[in-house]
Amino acid sequence: MVVEDSLKICTVCASNNNRSMESHKQLKDAGYNVKSFGTGSAVRLPGPSADKPNVYEFGTPYEDIYNDLISQNCRKIYEANGLIHMLDRNRHVKTAPEKWQNNAYAGKFDLVITCEERCFDSVLDDLMYRMYSKADENDVKQIVHVINVDIKDDNENALIGGKGILKLVNMVHEFRSKKKVEGEDESTVLLEDQMMNILTEWQKNHTHLPTLYSVSYY
Amino acid sequence: MSFSPDQIVEQLDQAKNLAYTDASTYPQVLRQILNFVTSPESKIQLWCVQFLKESFVENKIANHSDKVDLAIDSLDSLVFLSNIPNLHIFKHVISISSVIYRLVFRYVAENDGCNPIWSKLTELKNSLVNKFQSNFPLEASDNEEFDLFRNIDTKIELVKFMMLVIDYQSKSTVINGSSSNGSVSPPPNTFSLNNVTTTHSLIKYSNMEYEAVNLLDLLLKTFSNNVIVAPLITATLNHFIIIMKRKPQYVTKILNMVENYDTNAKFQSNYQSLEEFKLAKKYVDRIFRVFLFHILRNNLVPTNYQNTLNKKMNQLVERGNDIRKKNIFVINEPNIRKRKFDGFLNPTKKIKTLDYKNLYCLNDINSDLNNFDLTSVPQHILTQMVVTALKKASVNKVTKALEIISERYTDAILGPGVAIKKEDADEDDDDDDVGENYNPETVYTLPPPTDLSFQEKKEHISIIIKNFFKLANNPNGISPEEEKVGDAEEGINKELTKTAINSWKKDSWLVLLTRLATRGMRSAVLQEDEDNEAEKSPDAKANEEMSDMIRTAIFDYFLDNIHSRIDLIIEWLNEEWYSEKVFNEEIQIRKAKAQKAVKQEASDDAIVDTPPVETAKVETPIYNKWAGKVLDSMIPFLEPNDRKIFIRLLSDLPYLNEDLVGRIKSLCLDPVRIKIGFLSLQFLIMYRPPVKDVCLKILTQLSESDQDDLREEAKKLLAKYSV
Repeated sequence: MVVEDSLKICTVCASNNNRSMESHKQLKDAGYNVKSFGTGSAVRLPGPSADKPNVYEFGTPYEDIYNDLISQNCRKIYEANGLIHMLDRNRHVKTAPEKWQNNAYAGKFDLVITCEERCFDSVLDDLMYRMYSKADENDVKQIVHVINVDIKDDNENALIGGKGILKLVNMVHEFRSKKKVEGEDESTVLLEDQMMNILTEWQKNHTHLPTLYSVSYY
Repeated sequence: MSFSPDQIVEQLDQAKNLAYTDASTYPQVLRQILNFVTSPESKIQLWCVQFLKESFVENKIANHSDKVDLAIDSLDSLVFLSNIPNLHIFKHVISISSVIYRLVFRYVAENDGCNPIWSKLTELKNSLVNKFQSNFPLEASDNEEFDLFRNIDTKIELVKFMMLVIDYQSKSTVINGSSSNGSVSPPPNTFSLNNVTTTHSLIKYSNMEYEAVNLLDLLLKTFSNNVIVAPLITATLNHFIIIMKRKPQYVTKILNMVENYDTNAKFQSNYQSLEEFKLAKKYVDRIFRVFLFHILRNNLVPTNYQNTLNKKMNQLVERGNDIRKKNIFVINEPNIRKRKFDGFLNPTKKIKTLDYKNLYCLNDINSDLNNFDLTSVPQHILTQMVVTALKKASVNKVTKALEIISERYTDAILGPGVAIKKEDADEDDDDDDVGENYNPETVYTLPPPTDLSFQEKKEHISIIIKNFFKLANNPNGISPEEEKVGDAEEGINKELTKTAINSWKKDSWLVLLTRLATRGMRSAVLQEDEDNEAEKSPDAKANEEMSDMIRTAIFDYFLDNIHSRIDLIIEWLNEEWYSEKVFNEEIQIRKAKAQKAVKQEASDDAIVDTPPVETAKVETPIYNKWAGKVLDSMIPFLEPNDRKIFIRLLSDLPYLNEDLVGRIKSLCLDPVRIKIGFLSLQFLIMYRPPVKDVCLKILTQLSESDQDDLREEAKKLLAKYSV
């Protein structure tokens, strides 16, 4: 299934493993044009104890991480806390976790959905930096909607959050496909004009998933 | 031979493919295509603008010098396209202009003296920038506040272009040239006013910086609005980072705004829900926090601002943490106030559903208020409510409201694909409730009008009088078209004109007014019982009083200018006498008939003759009274040369008696006006035989006067006429 006229969407969390990957999968399954990234300095996954996380560089294939984890002694813990299952899911969605700050190769997105306030801040901060650090005379800046949907970083909440994000993306696309009713004010069909409206409506039904929103350029 | 738009698009597609496959043909193809921009077909225009976008924005033109030349050649077309009110076209034009502006600006900077190119570029720039505050390509609504929330789409695009202009038209001084990761930012090839020679004849430094600062002020306006338009605010603030980085001369402007901006000081808009407002506040606070964090961490803040901005950031962080995990919809924020509403909640000028509700409804169409059944309110209260409401409403607002409704109506009538029932358009507006309850069997009757109190009647009469005199004083008030209306009307109106007035002339008001006084108010008396005749009923008295109001008004009008209004007075008094005479005759005849009936009953004998009513004996006291008043008011002011008008009056008054003629006597006693007096008497003796005797009587009295000249003149006339 492919959504025709899908916006270019990406989901973002810290390590590009749990929350952004769960929603990546859900959006992908729904047929949207979607990618996902992480804003952290490295991919950090739970380790045998809180002070011993498993750290990988962005770009390390999920397959490799998966193999690394099942080869470790505390494989049972990883199976119990869902880590193994998560990586198994991830490796069927895409090859490796990607870093937001280095994602120029992926082109520009219309809609960036972050899963944590910290990531939202990082994305906007990075977009500000890109604003003045690039000087391509031919480049025309493009508008990007950045939305944060705050999701707790665990399996269950990633699933719930992913559903919420899918619903939001559906709402945006349903709105876009809405034809202007003859005689209606054109403003009622402009996404930028109605984005706040859509977010408010969505938020009313998802009070457990607090939002942030900003328009930016890049 | 002409082609259909589809055929043209097909040909354009072929041309485009040629340009894409053979780059050497690109310039030629593009220039040819520019000719189609002015096509009236929006389909073709859209095609052209898409092609230009592919060419300039998506870099289909490989050769840079070609690109510059083509950019220059496209200026005219872009100026043209920038004024086409089409959202898609306009958005593309902004993007294309962002590329072209840079190319051409640099070209002009390097090639001093190319005035026409520079002025075209300026024209394009102004055409775009000037639209930031309008709602182009959308039409402005009736309400400024509503417009702030409309067309954000285009505004966000324009912000981008304006930032670019600011960047190019001002000097750059990059703050912290190299960043932490070692790369130089911004890269050295960033163009700005620095790259233009200071002696450039077209790109003048002072003008450029002046314009740039004006544009910045325009962008800052978004933040001084007392409502929060979150998408536009966040977009603008995000883009300001370029100015923070490269334009230290403008940094204070932005930082002052950031320092003073507080979402808590803003109002909830009438065009956003409370929930939306709460979210907008949260979103905007967050983006200020991100902005502050970025500029503080990257040392883009002058030292004198650091303290306050750090404080500001901490404040925002705290505010954010407070609500972070909360459902902000349930947080009680008693300080939220709504912006004062000065518009309509439903101001659209296009009608969505063809019904009266959608035509007239200016408040929220879903508001419960609309379900209130006004027919349950007694009519007199309803009228009072309407009148009070109209009195209270500002003229501007009512005018705007009417404008909206009339536009909706026109739109509905003229709009494509809207089938309106013929009778809907023709019928009165009162049939709102003809709907599901409609039953053709029921006969609709208006409720009987409530009786007016005497005081109300008097008030209305005085309004009527006022209106008539307004007409009298404004003879030009009636246009020729209006005069003809009577002739053109059909049916009832035609019948009406037959009995009343064929066409409105300058003096028609007087006919209507006098007839209203003399005949219009009299019907009640006719039904009087003969026994009560002597004592008039209260109704009759009241009517009399109202008639007298009109008479007094006419009389006063006459007094204002006796000389020129004598015709009017004659017309009135004739009406007065005639109607009184006819009316009183009627009473006498009826009386006589009644007597006859009584007599017939009494005597079984055959026929009893009806005694003929002697018209001469019919009294006209009202006429007599007012004719007397007219003479009394006139005589003291007559001047020797007023002879003509006075004699005219005497000759045209329908009836004179001893009392009325007797008033001439005083004229004869005045040495200055003795001539008028005697002349009048002589005239009456000669031309109004019924009063000849009365006149002779006066002359006899005068001949016994102790004034010599008076006596002589009287005797002379007596000798002549008393045969």
